[in-house]
Amino acid sequence: MIAAARFVICGIFLAPAALPLQAVALLQSPVAAQQRDFTIDPDYSCVTCHTEKRRAFLLGTHSERGIRCHDCHGGDPRAFEQATAHTGPEYVGPLDKMATVQLCSSCHSDPDQMRQYGLPVGELAEYRTSRHGQLLLEQRDYNAPTCTDCHDAHTILPPNDARSNVYPTNIAHTCARCHEDAAMMGEYGLGTDQIETHRASAHGVALYQRQDFAAPTCVSCHGSHAALPPAVTQIADVCGHCHVLVRRAFYAGPHGRAAQSRDLPGCTACHSNHGTERIQPNRIAATCTECHEADSPAALAGLEIQEDATRTTVELHAAEEAIQALARAGRTVADVKLRYQTAVTAYNQISQAQHSLDLEVLEDLSRQVSSISRDVRAAEEVAAEHRWEHGLALIPIWFLALSATVLAWFKLRALRRERR
Amino acid sequence: MSETKDKPRLRWLAQIWADLKASTDPALLAVARFLGLVYGPIDRTLPIDQAARKALGRRLPSHAGWRHALGGITYLLFMVLVVTGVLLSFYYRPSVQEAYPSIQYIVSEVPLGWLVRDLHVWSANLIVVAIMAHMARVFFSGTYKPPRETNWVVGLLLLLVVLAFGGTGYLLPWDQWAYWTTTEVLDTVSRAPLLGIIASVLQGDVVVSGATLSRFFAVHVILLPWAAFALLLIHFTLVRKQGIAPPPGRLEDRSEGVPFFPNHLLRSFVVGVLVLAVTFSLAALYPRPVGDPANPFELPTELVSSWIVVDVSLALIRYLGVWGFSLFTLLGITMAVLPLFDRNPERRLRRRPVVLALGLLFFAGYLVAWLAGRQLESMPLDTELRSGEAAERFVPQELEPQTPEGGSSAEDTGEEEDQP
Repeated sequence: MIAAARFVICGIFLAPAALPLQAVALLQSPVAAQQRDFTIDPDYSCVTCHTEKRRAFLLGTHSERGIRCHDCHGGDPRAFEQATAHTGPEYVGPLDKMATVQLCSSCHSDPDQMRQYGLPVGELAEYRTSRHGQLLLEQRDYNAPTCTDCHDAHTILPPNDARSNVYPTNIAHTCARCHEDAAMMGEYGLGTDQIETHRASAHGVALYQRQDFAAPTCVSCHGSHAALPPAVTQIADVCGHCHVLVRRAFYAGPHGRAAQSRDLPGCTACHSNHGTERIQPNRIAATCTECHEADSPAALAGLEIQEDATRTTVELHAAEEAIQALARAGRTVADVKLRYQTAVTAYNQISQAQHSLDLEVLEDLSRQVSSISRDVRAAEEVAAEHRWEHGLALIPIWFLALSATVLAWFKLRALRRERR
Repeated sequence: MSETKDKPRLRWLAQIWADLKASTDPALLAVARFLGLVYGPIDRTLPIDQAARKALGRRLPSHAGWRHALGGITYLLFMVLVVTGVLLSFYYRPSVQEAYPSIQYIVSEVPLGWLVRDLHVWSANLIVVAIMAHMARVFFSGTYKPPRETNWVVGLLLLLVVLAFGGTGYLLPWDQWAYWTTTEVLDTVSRAPLLGIIASVLQGDVVVSGATLSRFFAVHVILLPWAAFALLLIHFTLVRKQGIAPPPGRLEDRSEGVPFFPNHLLRSFVVGVLVLAVTFSLAALYPRPVGDPANPFELPTELVSSWIVVDVSLALIRYLGVWGFSLFTLLGITMAVLPLFDRNPERRLRRRPVVLALGLLFFAGYLVAWLAGRQLESMPLDTELRSGEAAERFVPQELEPQTPEGGSSAEDTGEEEDQP
């Protein structure tokens, strides 16, 4: 009885203390609670009905900046009757796509407001140049996405927040909402396999499997607000954002000149676009013959490059195996590893220089790889000879050991006989 | 017929031998006389000669045979470890910066340094085999029973010392395999009851670091040698005092036997020569591979073990976890204290089924664990590899968590607090 009374009394005193604690727990951060949850204000009426919107909005970054429901939707937040709350000259209610662009850009195109957050103000200008913007703003095509289609209407998060729709690993999914809709894309004559192809490509593997955020997503090549497929003459420059040396080599060669005169679709001619196919050394000549006649000088040059690339690949692997053999044999491999790294650098330069089709440069680089590979293998052969010599040294050791054993054995037998 | 033909042929050989003897004897005699001049006064005050003759002439029971040479092999390998260890310590430097380069120097620059190092590594392996074989003989023949129970416990303490020698020596190369194997074993042991305190004291830091290397080196070259020599002294004194145990079913009889020299000494010589030849062969043909330098931020891609006990320990840790490791240790402790409980003088194996089962469980378990450990070739990609505190400070690159926005939550909270 006394225990029950104690329990009740404790409950009476602790219950009021628990309520704010619960609120804090809901908001995760006690300091952020009062600043973010403006809806704690009992006179703010919007959240009385729109509870789901309130919850979504509180997760986004706009709630942290003191923006409230009526700042975007208008109306009277002090009125608790729907009729009075949803009236007045400033009430706009749910915004359509056009109105959304205007509303968002009213702040995001204003340098005075964006300066404090370090955000750019050119989104609207970029959007106007994009295919999406052209369709919506000029053709009033409401299939085209507006700001909230990608960034969400209420849970708006910065692109480096992993929960954001535009986070590097989420952006493809966001684009896929429309670009994998066969019915919608059919209206514009577009395919729907881009996202899957990208996911399986070298870029997709780097991004999704290795979590390498340097790997490009949809927006890296097409732009985000200014989303457009790159023009034929721009493709090499788009790829060259990351593949700087390849771009330089490409423009130095005949293919680069062909791409500038629109005769060749840049990098995609050999590597495809979303699939970014890696051409293995033994597939170079076959790739060349997709455009060039098999007995043409260009195809023969391709064959020469293929043979060179295949040979250097084999030599590089042989050097790697020689280093492993040296390490297994208990030899120090720091020096040969350094030499091997030089060979790897030259090998990577071959991959880049192949785009210039400059056979002299390629020959020089492959000679470097061959020379280093030969040195490394020679070091391994010397080590193998030493091992053989060590093995030979064991012959006198075992001869002496066995001779001593035999002599001792005879002596022991003689001693045993004596004892008997 | 053949004798008459051979005699003239061998006459020239006999003549050469006689000439050699005639010319060598005076020289050898001169050396002996000089040594006699020096040794004479010493022998008059210290009767070393007499003591040596007495020791060599000590009679051993006639049943003492080849199987009693196992202890001698262990001692021989211990002395090989001492000699090679001293030679290695001339060049080895126990610091994080210098440990790995000094091993590289020993292996590549010091004349026959590779041989000294590999003899040390292989002797450390063979001594475990020799101890296990010696221990198995004593265990199954029941010679650990009174009055030799103290020597059994001393022998097991010597086993512990040898294991500690190997455990502390394993880290000294300071390569990736040594570093991460030590990390894994220490982390597991630190979670075991009682042993955890020793592990944390030996580690000396939240991760395996320079502090651990210093401690391991000090234990390896200062503490353990003293302990080993003290225990060896007790072990040999007790063997000498109590004599060799009679075969099961016979009574102690020390009245007759065969002199130690030359009978048992010749047997020990034969076994010793063969063991040394095997150790040289293994060192020359199967050197310890050279790993990459220790890197606390990166797990090795493969695991190469070079000590039997490490294979056994890793097999216990990976397949049975900390409790399996503890239970196996408990089994070893049970064997150590067995003479306290097993007071029955019966030594015939057929009449000791419980002890037979216990022994088979231990020795067969050790063999199975070793074979299982040989199959382990990779490190566990497991965040449990290190304690929480250590993981926060030293997270391997592959396991590093993604930090959204590149800033800590504390900084964000601070910014919000500053807002009006």
